Amino acid sequence: MAFGRLVEAYQDPVYNLAYRMLGNGPEAEDAAQEAFIRAYRHLASYDPRRPFSTWLFSIASHYCIDRLRRRRIDWLPLKEEIAEPVRLASASPNPESVVTERDREAWIQELMSDLSPQDRAAVILHYWYDYPYKEIAEILGLTVSAVKSRLYRARRALADQMEGEAYALQTS
Amino acid sequence: MRCRRARDLMPARLDGELSREELVEVEEHLAWCSTCRAEWQKIRAVDQLFKSAPARSAPTHLRTQIMTRIDRREQARRAIAGGLALAMGATAVALLTAIPIALGLLENLGIAPALLIGGVGTATQLLTLLDALSRTMLVLLDQFAVPLVVSSLSSLVVALALNGLWIAMIRRLRVAG
Repeated sequence: MAFGRLVEAYQDPVYNLAYRMLGNGPEAEDAAQEAFIRAYRHLASYDPRRPFSTWLFSIASHYCIDRLRRRRIDWLPLKEEIAEPVRLASASPNPESVVTERDREAWIQELMSDLSPQDRAAVILHYWYDYPYKEIAEILGLTVSAVKSRLYRARRALADQMEGEAYALQTS
Repeated sequence: MRCRRARDLMPARLDGELSREELVEVEEHLAWCSTCRAEWQKIRAVDQLFKSAPARSAPTHLRTQIMTRIDRREQARRAIAGGLALAMGATAVALLTAIPIALGLLENLGIAPALLIGGVGTATQLLTLLDALSRTMLVLLDQFAVPLVVSSLSSLVVALALNGLWIAMIRRLRVAG
């Protein structure tokens, strides 16, 4: 089946997007499946003039954003959804040297868990997919200036959080 | 350059979106403003941390799970489409067969006026109709031999047309395959 080849080609990026958005493997797997099923169901509405990846990531992003919103409505704290607890390797105040390779992943997920769903999606599409502002805007259904301001706000928040954690480690 | 402007331009600097003039301005500001320099280092640390994170790979079974769900969905859709076509065909057959017979019966037995009059004696008239129907069915079958054949053939044509429609629908549903 031709769609099988599309799944083969895009399963990794869609899964990574869902994992970075939702913060754990089982939910990411479920979300990736759902994104592909939705894409299959609405294949007729795909405009071939647009890149397929943009369309597919738009479906996956919006599904994950909705899921995160529902999670908030259910009063589940996002940090409890992180699969593994974050343990920093040393008490150095410099964030770049604080984490080992092993802990880096968990730390990144924890940092992102405080971002709003749309800010998180913008950060993920920017850092892991290297998309320009225009492409991110298309995927998330935002204007380019909204993407810029979201990324700016998210980076500031992440920087403050990193600094806060480093300070907490230094004084503990 | 003021601190506020320098900070506003920091993300654009990370993304390489500053003009040459803006870049020089920001660099000059950072050279003498220690507060903004600290801010710049904080934001750059975020950038470096996130850029160093590798992408996660999908579990090996993900593709199979997705394709199984799609196959199941397709089977369900075909079953629904098939069921719908069969139901439509059966309804058409039933209507094409029943309508001429019912009309003929009403006309032959002179019951139609009685049904229209209704009123207090409706229940009795309906019982009479059922009784008359059961008793005269065999006799009337001879009389309606021609309409029955015609309606049966019509039903067959309709059923074949619906079948063709069903097959065409199923082919269209196989969007990818």
